[in-house]
Amino acid sequence: MIIEIKNLCKTYDQQMIFDDFSLTIERDIITGITGPSGAGKTTLLRLLAGLEKPDSGSIEGLQGGSLSYVFQEPRLLPWCTVRENLRFVCPQGHDLKKDFESEIDIMLDQVGLTEAQSLYPQALSGGMKQRVSIARSFLVPSELLLMDEPFISLDLDLKERLMELFLSLWEKKKRTVLFVSHDPLEMKKLSHTILTLSDKPVRILKREENKKL
Amino acid sequence: MKISTQLGNKKNIKLGAILFWIVIWILAAWRVNNPLVLPSPFDTLKGLVKLTESADFLVAIIVTLIRVFAGVLFAFGMGLALGIAGGLNRFFYELLNPLVVTIRSVPVVSVIILINLWIASSLVPLVVTFLICFPVTWTNVTQGVFSTDKKLLEMAAVYHVSPAKILKNIYLPSIRPYASSALINAIGLGWKVTVTAEVLANALPSMGMNLYYARIYLETDLLFAWTLVIVVLSYLIEKLTIKALKGSAREVAE
Repeated sequence: MIIEIKNLCKTYDQQMIFDDFSLTIERDIITGITGPSGAGKTTLLRLLAGLEKPDSGSIEGLQGGSLSYVFQEPRLLPWCTVRENLRFVCPQGHDLKKDFESEIDIMLDQVGLTEAQSLYPQALSGGMKQRVSIARSFLVPSELLLMDEPFISLDLDLKERLMELFLSLWEKKKRTVLFVSHDPLEMKKLSHTILTLSDKPVRILKREENKKL
Repeated sequence: MKISTQLGNKKNIKLGAILFWIVIWILAAWRVNNPLVLPSPFDTLKGLVKLTESADFLVAIIVTLIRVFAGVLFAFGMGLALGIAGGLNRFFYELLNPLVVTIRSVPVVSVIILINLWIASSLVPLVVTFLICFPVTWTNVTQGVFSTDKKLLEMAAVYHVSPAKILKNIYLPSIRPYASSALINAIGLGWKVTVTAEVLANALPSMGMNLYYARIYLETDLLFAWTLVIVVLSYLIEKLTIKALKGSAREVAE
């Protein structure tokens, strides 16, 4: 199964961002998307997440519609602890809650935040906050994981460690990932396929196979 | 050490300012030299002692307090519920907003006189307090909903979080500071409006009517004593509310 974007059109502030844009995303691999700033990479992720509506066209292959998203900023609830932030995305239905609590325990252990689970976001470093955000994205059984420059504000050492963490989580819970970044190093390290997009209206300039599964 | 010295200085400055104005009051009363026009602080204290000896004193305070609380809490509850609904639903906001703006613009005295035409005197202060305090809460709460972090709402939408959970975990904590400030304002306003409405609507028993009787019987010392009681009670309740709100905010944060 694949995810298919077909004949997508989207205008923003009278600017045509997508004009009859089509893209096939392969399942259970990490697809990296790069291209000039403001080209429409984030808009593409937002369209896939349902946060923006296309003017026309369709997105097929997301049956359950279950998604997770690692935003540029961690987007944590400031009044909730790390654990409560993870609990917040618990899928609906009471029978799931108990399992979800043990899932949280495992995830906290995997991302090295067991000790910090009772802390509030304001007490966490930038890297820790982004670890919570990554943990949250793997905690829900999503079909598609969208990542919008999640390591942009981190220093090189922390970036390296978080990318390792991301890859280890992905190995354990494989899913389709669409990953936007400007950083060629991040692209090389994380992506199986790298797509280079043009400026508006978006076209695929290059499709490059980067690493084998 | 430095912080405690600074706090001590701040308290001393406050106390000094209060003493300064009491001295001005004493000097003014001495200059006027007519307790019927301007009683001194000592006359006022004597009046206060006289008031406390009367059995009606406590009854008037309790009844007025009930009116203030009932009016403010009802207004706050309705303002909170309808404010959230208005903040979340544009149509509901546009429907209710002209009414709220109108109520807010009408002079308090007009509201009191109008309401007095329609309902029993004893209920007028309560209804008027509601009408004055409701717009304050509604406006603050809708602003709180409007200023909720859209990025958090997007995150919740992506993860298909239920509306009840979004309300509890995103909207209510976002509204909290707006609602707290609305409650403090409503309590301050509630006191002034309730007492004014008690006077104009002849609501008995009440602190307002005691003020009125003190005026018509030319008992200016009692008029000042009642005013002092109102000011002190209003201050204490406002301080207690702020303390309670701070305490519950800390509980949430912990």
